[in-house]
Amino acid sequence: MAKVVLDAGALDRVGNTPLIKLDSLSNDKVQYFAKLESHNPFGSVKDRAAYWMIKDAEEKGKLKKNHTIIIEPTSGNTGIALTGIASLLGYEVEIVIPEKASEETKKIIAKLGAKLYETSDDLCPKVGAGTDQSIALATSIASSRPDKYYSPNQYANEANFLGHYKGTGPEIWKQTEGKVTHFFTGVGTGGTVTGISTFLKEQNPKLKTIGVQPQQNHLIQGLRNFEESAKPDLFIRREKSVDDWITINNETAFAAVKELFQKESLMVSPSSATVYAAMKKYPIQEGIVVGIFADDGRKFKSLYAQQKVFTEEEFDANLKQAKHLSKIVYLD
Amino acid sequence: MTNRPLENMSATTKVLDARGLFCPEPVFRTKIEVERMQVGETLTVLADDPNAEEDVSRWVKRNGHELLSLEKKDSALEFQIKKVK
Repeated sequence: MAKVVLDAGALDRVGNTPLIKLDSLSNDKVQYFAKLESHNPFGSVKDRAAYWMIKDAEEKGKLKKNHTIIIEPTSGNTGIALTGIASLLGYEVEIVIPEKASEETKKIIAKLGAKLYETSDDLCPKVGAGTDQSIALATSIASSRPDKYYSPNQYANEANFLGHYKGTGPEIWKQTEGKVTHFFTGVGTGGTVTGISTFLKEQNPKLKTIGVQPQQNHLIQGLRNFEESAKPDLFIRREKSVDDWITINNETAFAAVKELFQKESLMVSPSSATVYAAMKKYPIQEGIVVGIFADDGRKFKSLYAQQKVFTEEEFDANLKQAKHLSKIVYLD
Repeated sequence: MTNRPLENMSATTKVLDARGLFCPEPVFRTKIEVERMQVGETLTVLADDPNAEEDVSRWVKRNGHELLSLEKKDSALEFQIKKVK
């Protein structure tokens, strides 16, 4: 597969994503907005974490250009973001990914130039399944060659928090002219929720942060249900920045994917639809509500067909009508 | 422990030196090598992480291949693996 040639200007496009009003939810007393993180250069909120983690490692002298290999276990957007951004900054990337991860994601990561290691659950059963196999392999590869490898580890890296505390949080404050009252986001590493919430609460201590989690055994890439998955270190450090939780099941999330297209002409990812469903369900009397839409729906054609959300033909037709589609580097 | 037949010694065409690597990397590299081999070929794997003994042996058996021998030499393990299917 031919490697994509990347434009260094893409790095300047990390952050400063648009905030759009959701007319389908808003009324006289409550206005709802979505922050469209798909407008980052590699198409998701993870561009922020990847950029901040690599820049932080550079500042701390942990990386040498054309020498260090960045290795990270991931099953999705972080792999895409790290590969794209690290390649632009002159580092090789190796991504360790569960073989069950979506073929679309694997293809994008390979196209952006990373070496892929695919792990299977029979490799070392004592460490667990899925991403746990990938984490074990990435850790073993990096730890036997510390002079060559650097693993950012998004689940514990403070720079992942800082990217949102110094970037996304202030953007939301400015875009709502300091009027935001409620904040919704899904939780994976905890970097997004704790970073944004900590900043916004410093500006307005009355602000309420609602963490959105999928059901157990969910199909929502990028989110975690903390009854079945461990809480990451990064999240635990500022767990109290979340005031309340809401759980959304798979069926409601996929129905919201359809509803967002019908009512807002948005083609969103399952995780963004989960946040929308939570904003719709959670009772709010008055205020300005902001939800994070972590990425759009373009990687989910096969999943949506499988879940009977859109047929492949409907998906293609919808994309042509969709509003607010961003320019994504690997789709050029 | 040594019970490998002489014909398997001569058929060994590949050696994977996984010494200095931590588990699960030795079993991961073993898997990649075995996948690239033809049925009937054998692979010698050298490893010095003690966890490799269980990881590699179990992976070979679970995947229907044959562990012809496992020897301990100094601090290293030497596996002879035959690809069966």
